[in-house]
Amino acid sequence: MTGSTLGARAPRLTLRRRRQLAGALFALPAVGLVVGLIAVPIGQAIYYSFTQWDGLTSTWVGPSTWSQAFHNPNLWTALENNAWLLLAVPFALGLPLLIAMLLHQRVIGWKIFRSIYFLPTAISWVVLGLVAERFFAFQGTLNSLIHFVGLGHVSTNMLGYESTALSALGITFVFTMIGTNTMLFLTGLATLDTSLEEAARIDGAGRWRIFRHITLPHLSRFIQLAFVMTVIALFSALFSLIFVMTGGGPGYATTTMEFLIYQTGFAQGDFGTAALYGLILFVLTAIVGIVQLRLIGSDE
Amino acid sequence: MSLDPRRLAPGAPVERRARARRVGRGALFLVMVGVAVVMLYPFWVMIVDSLKSENQFLSGHGFSWASWRTLTSTIPIAQEVVSSTIICAVSILLILIVGLPAGFAFAKLKFRASGVIFLAIVSAMMVPLQAILMPEFVNITRLGLTGGYTGAVLVYAALGTPFSVFLFATYFRGVPDELIEAGIVDGLGYVGALWRLVVPIAIPAIATVTVLQFIQIWDDLLVGLLFIQNTSERPITVGLAVLAAGRTTSIPALMAGSLISALPAMIVYLIFQRYLVKGLTMGIDR
Repeated sequence: MTGSTLGARAPRLTLRRRRQLAGALFALPAVGLVVGLIAVPIGQAIYYSFTQWDGLTSTWVGPSTWSQAFHNPNLWTALENNAWLLLAVPFALGLPLLIAMLLHQRVIGWKIFRSIYFLPTAISWVVLGLVAERFFAFQGTLNSLIHFVGLGHVSTNMLGYESTALSALGITFVFTMIGTNTMLFLTGLATLDTSLEEAARIDGAGRWRIFRHITLPHLSRFIQLAFVMTVIALFSALFSLIFVMTGGGPGYATTTMEFLIYQTGFAQGDFGTAALYGLILFVLTAIVGIVQLRLIGSDE
Repeated sequence: MSLDPRRLAPGAPVERRARARRVGRGALFLVMVGVAVVMLYPFWVMIVDSLKSENQFLSGHGFSWASWRTLTSTIPIAQEVVSSTIICAVSILLILIVGLPAGFAFAKLKFRASGVIFLAIVSAMMVPLQAILMPEFVNITRLGLTGGYTGAVLVYAALGTPFSVFLFATYFRGVPDELIEAGIVDGLGYVGALWRLVVPIAIPAIATVTVLQFIQIWDDLLVGLLFIQNTSERPITVGLAVLAAGRTTSIPALMAGSLISALPAMIVYLIFQRYLVKGLTMGIDR
């Protein structure tokens, strides 16, 4: 009301001010939610990582909590498990790339195949974990397959042994990532100018050379995105699979960082150490994020 | 007429090449069928194993509807589906109510430091819940929000907001300024312009956020497991995971429950596939 009468002198400025005010007010709820439930807890985690904390009362200990944490062999086991699981990443990217290339050939029924390949993406990792357990179980599909190819004397129980449980988890992880990554690569391939490939083929370039020098460079941004999403999933989305398939065991064989946080906090009631582990996980994912920003930055 | 070198080549190699091409296509088709078998494997396991009684499952022979008939007494499936639905619906609504105006503001109504704040919100996408799990859990519990759905809904909304703000902002950057300018000058005001102009334009982006978040929240375990105290309010993934981890529930019943839990997300997914793809490649798709 007053704005319209006073604004006669400098109407543009008032309009701009009002627009800025409206913008700030529109952004406020989102900012509040993110600050309250993400930023503040990060701050709290930093404080509590220096304390002894059971969720109710905390007592300040100081930096010694950190040196103590790094002397805990379980932390190193979890970090080691995460490191080993990184070996699954090339498969979680390579197989989808291959599948996307196949789909891109557009043989009869490729749209149906595409829908089938993406379908597991919609299913909860809880359910996929349950199915994977059936696959690796002593009386499960894997052993039936081994029997079928005539190796009846070999029977595996991958989830039952410390030496193999992590591999079984890694294989399951690769399966769960196939849909999403294939989708990404297929989208990337769809934006590829086919006349380029055609021209190269007429010039006598072989399939491999076309793939290496035209397709792959074109897909680089999509591969980067898939890489970052896969690594982040590896650090922070395995919880459902581990919870259902192994509970972190046998022993600590499949306890990754995120599961160690859950166990330390909720099974052992050591909230302070769990908060500290959370920060370590935070730093690890932040590194991946920064690497991604660097990669995107170097692109432009 | 054409300079296509294949046309200039003599007859026989062309024929041979055509045959090789047909064989290649056939082999390719077979490979694709093979991949399809692998990707359909979870569904096959769920269907076959759910069609057995506990004894049939243990002996490995025979089929029956037994596990389906007794499903509701083994797993409180109806209540769990209702819980999942309520949690999903309210969380997504909150994400849209909060994310849409914010995305609009960051794209079209820039204010002081809005660029920096936008960057901060977007980087919150990279924070995994596990990293802040302990303080989050204690905060929500202290506020008394773990009885009922409120705590879980708030956590889901907070986790989903950064991505939705990013997606909406990216989307609105592609909308011409004049369109919104005109609405505001026409006396709609900012809230009016948001509701009558911006929301209708943003329907595809709203669909993308809704579909992505639906699958994310419907399939999630951790939040439902920790931020919902009453077992009678558990969402379906939590119910299944807890029973599975307990290792006392029969596997055919678990598989039947899994199939039910998988259906809604699959249907949503198959119908809205293209929105999902759009959401995933947001920002790099040109």
